[in-house]
Amino acid sequence: MSAQERAAVIAALNGPTVTAPTRATLLERLDARYGRQFLSETEFARLRAVALRLVPHDPAEMDLSGLIDQRLHQNLSDGWRYADTPADGPAYQGLLAALPSNFETLSGDEQDAAIHKLQADQPHPFEDLLAELTEGFMAHPLTQYRFGYAGFMDAPGWPRVGPNELEAREIAYGESGNDQ
Amino acid sequence: MTNNLELDVLVIGTGAGGAPLLARLAATGLRVLALEAGVRHRPAEMPTDEVAQAGLFWMDERLSAGKDPVGFGRNNSGRGVGGSTLHYTAYTPRAQPDDFELLKEFGQGVDWPLSYADLEPYYDEVEQFLGVSGPSEYPWGPPRQRPYPHPALPLNGAALLMEQAAQQSGIRTSAAANAALSRPQEQEGYGLRPACSNRGFCQAGCSTGAKASLDVTYLALAESKGASIWEGAQVTKLLMQGGRVSGAEFVRDGKTQTLHARQVVLAAGAIETPRLLLLSGVGNSSGQVGRNFMAHVGVQVWGLVDDDLRPYKGIPGGLISEDFHRIPGLVGGYLLQSLGVMPVTYATQYARGTGKWGAALSEHLSQYNHVAGINVLGECLPYAGNFLELSSELDGRGLPKPLIHFSFGENEHRMAEHAEAVMRDLWAKIGAREVWALPRAAHTIGTARMGHDPSTNVVDAFGRSHDTPGLWICDNSTFPSSLSVNPGLTQMALSLRTADALIAELRA
Repeated sequence: MSAQERAAVIAALNGPTVTAPTRATLLERLDARYGRQFLSETEFARLRAVALRLVPHDPAEMDLSGLIDQRLHQNLSDGWRYADTPADGPAYQGLLAALPSNFETLSGDEQDAAIHKLQADQPHPFEDLLAELTEGFMAHPLTQYRFGYAGFMDAPGWPRVGPNELEAREIAYGESGNDQ
Repeated sequence: MTNNLELDVLVIGTGAGGAPLLARLAATGLRVLALEAGVRHRPAEMPTDEVAQAGLFWMDERLSAGKDPVGFGRNNSGRGVGGSTLHYTAYTPRAQPDDFELLKEFGQGVDWPLSYADLEPYYDEVEQFLGVSGPSEYPWGPPRQRPYPHPALPLNGAALLMEQAAQQSGIRTSAAANAALSRPQEQEGYGLRPACSNRGFCQAGCSTGAKASLDVTYLALAESKGASIWEGAQVTKLLMQGGRVSGAEFVRDGKTQTLHARQVVLAAGAIETPRLLLLSGVGNSSGQVGRNFMAHVGVQVWGLVDDDLRPYKGIPGGLISEDFHRIPGLVGGYLLQSLGVMPVTYATQYARGTGKWGAALSEHLSQYNHVAGINVLGECLPYAGNFLELSSELDGRGLPKPLIHFSFGENEHRMAEHAEAVMRDLWAKIGAREVWALPRAAHTIGTARMGHDPSTNVVDAFGRSHDTPGLWICDNSTFPSSLSVNPGLTQMALSLRTADALIAELRA
């Protein structure tokens, strides 16, 4: 992450347009890092490799794999599960075990081929893992900055909601804003 | 631990089924108490962040089976004082009279044991009390006795695009009725609720009180009239005494406790209500508890446009059309609604719905600000193969998890195809690109249906158990058919109606 992006995110979060509960939530998430607790070292290394192909990101910026390991460790549910799929922990372990043993050292194209096969063979666990990684990615303040999402700056409300009716804080925030 | 309170009525659940009723009973001077599994979520403490708001949803694990397994968690069912209204989109269309008579009209489905005319005064009362914002003239359904109390909310990007596309297609549209305030309103028992700030987080929790979730409306009224609400109280069993339901066992602060009352109202929703009945072995002489589970045909169509739409702004559902209320060759019909969406919801739906990953996924998501959506809510018929049962898998309390079987029938498949074609055509009209459809089911309905015949129904037309004195059910589990509208308003109207019947019974 560039220092400039990080500074922009922090400045926005600390500004008057963000309510206190929202600020606290997003500032904490910006720097959240997790120690591995649920998966084995081998499983975790593989999860990190898969996660990079599924949802491209810089693990130094956002710890998406650690977020999943932490959730499994805390045994938190998202409220439902496909009845034909084991509990999330074993389901994800099963996904990782089904990949080639040298997955981490394969080329990007080879990894993608293995992932396509995994998606076809275990569609429900794969879908769950993909959705969970996507959630972690999209909820991260840096992603939101890069995609020009300013919805959290809502303390003053949004008086105009039609197409292209942007408030100054929306235009100024994020890479999509800077491009214009 | 037994709590020796002298209660007239114990209510289990504080959502759209339990809350209006609680307020009505309390206003009559009855001694009432509600148990709520979740906690209070105060508006001002709500972050504008989807992940942080996960606590508004029922996150205990449910198992989904069938050909069209239903997603729960952040999709369906709330947890907290206010229930699912904490995260409903506040769309409040009324059902139309023929919605209650599918069997009569089509020879399929089930008729309700009550009519539109029975609900009309309650619809009217709920709309006035919540402060529904809506159009001065609504093109569909019977004329209204009273206008909506507030003018419609402003249309956001997706709503304006849908309006434009519909005009080209000859489809009539109208600003929707939303239970969010377009003007400030004084709310009895709560105080001043401000006008909506267009924050767009209705599908999570409102941070201002502008949205008529029940914590800031009926529950505030109920408490001002003397009702008690015990939060964090997870009911685990209904208690019987002398052949009648006499109270409930629940876990609060890690302790198992009991409460007794003259009458018990189960208002825990179409999953937890049948689960509790099955766990307790109560109210099921018909064998119908858990049966006839329904979820609306809810296919969504999304596309990208050049306009900067910012789908996080404005009421998520601003525009509606009921021109497809009836479709030749199909049983029932659907309504069309425009969609705003929060980023994480959109992203995870896109990943699940398309299976895309890698660069294709992140490139699409990077255009989030240009996303426009429409969806439908369509009739779902009751089928014997769609039901809830207790799983052999246990939850953290040692109780069986609910296992829900759900598959669309032929009518639902054909309706979804019809709707998808209509919506794809609309989005083609405005030049949307990368248009994709998310096949989807919405809302939890059925599982303890109402009807006159005790051998095929769980409760009567007022929600009174056919076979177990002292027990009432008041939530969307009693719907005999799904209705082709969002269920919240109808549920609240039914809740007031049940309250009136309960009051009459207690006075008799």
